Amino acid sequence: MILSVACYDCHSNNTRYPWYANIQPGSWWMASHIKEGKNGLNFDEFASYSNRRQQSKLKSIVNSINNGTMPLSSYTLIHKEAILSKEDKMSIKNWANTIKDSLELRN
Amino acid sequence: MKALIFSIALSTIFFAACNSNGTKQATSETTDMAMNETAATADNPLKGIVTGYLNLKNALAKDDDKGAADAGNGLVKVFDGFDKSSLTADQAKIFADIQTDAREHAEHIGSNAGNIGHQREHFETLSKDVYDLVKVTGAGEKLYYSNCPMYNNNKGASWLSETKDIHNPYLGMSMETCGAVKEELN
Ligand code: HEC
Ligand SMILES: [Cu+2]
Repeated sequence: MILSVACYDCHSNNTRYPWYANIQPGSWWMASHIKEGKNGLNFDEFASYSNRRQQSKLKSIVNSINNGTMPLSSYTLIHKEAILSKEDKMSIKNWANTIKDSLELRN
Repeated sequence: MKALIFSIALSTIFFAACNSNGTKQATSETTDMAMNETAATADNPLKGIVTGYLNLKNALAKDDDKGAADAGNGLVKVFDGFDKSSLTADQAKIFADIQTDAREHAEHIGSNAGNIGHQREHFETLSKDVYDLVKVTGAGEKLYYSNCPMYNNNKGASWLSETKDIHNPYLGMSMETCGAVKEELN
């Protein structure tokens, strides 16, 4: 799934530390973004979020894709594979909206 | 709530005692219940949250991103210092449900001066949180739940207001009166 390629480095416990993470200030940059990103959204902890919080995060995901703010452009500069195509964006938004709708029904 | 009314009653007695220059008057038995009810409502524990939210809403309606950021930061403080002890079990439950989410939205609004579009995205979810909260707890004042169908590519969004007339916080001054009241909350 595209999320694991484009988002998991910063939003999961599964970070593939890339080559530049070993070089200052790359490691500092990476570490701070992982910490900050995980604070806001961690896909590995997603299932443990409350229904309300899951809906809230899914909505933020859709917004971040629509606005093009995620993945961070400083990241896609190096990680070309994380640049989202139109189709990628559609599939992430469909995925998020589908889950969000089903969560709303469970309220 | 009971504890709150009781403490107001106590302070009323104390106040009366002070005013009577040491002559101990037995006013405690006849404490006016109606007056205490009003005082309790005015001291609704949700007051700080509602006030902070309305400040934020009014700043956004004026396209004031800095004012919105200040109000967002203020709201974070209110959530952090919130005293849950005066809530009933039902109220505590909904408060616990919205707390983390609402606080985080307020925080992002606080850190996004200069990006009012993003502040408004967070405001939309925050509005739902505060609405769900005051539905259960009461707001201590009359509020109107309004909706603007045009925001976000005609997906629409709702907000709470202290006024019946519309000042749209999502579209701001460019579409100030877009929207309609959907529900009155007491
Ligand atoms: C290089 C690290 C990085 C990558 C890759 C990344 N993010 Fe983020 N993300 C962050 C950071 C840092 C924040 C918190 C700071 C902020 O909000 O700007 C964040 C915040 C967010 C938020 C919360 C936004 C808000 O303000 O409400 C969402 C949602 C999000 N990211 C989704 C994604 C998605 C979806 C992807 C993949 C398509 C992604 N991110 C990829 C670093 C990253
Ligand atoms: Cu944000």
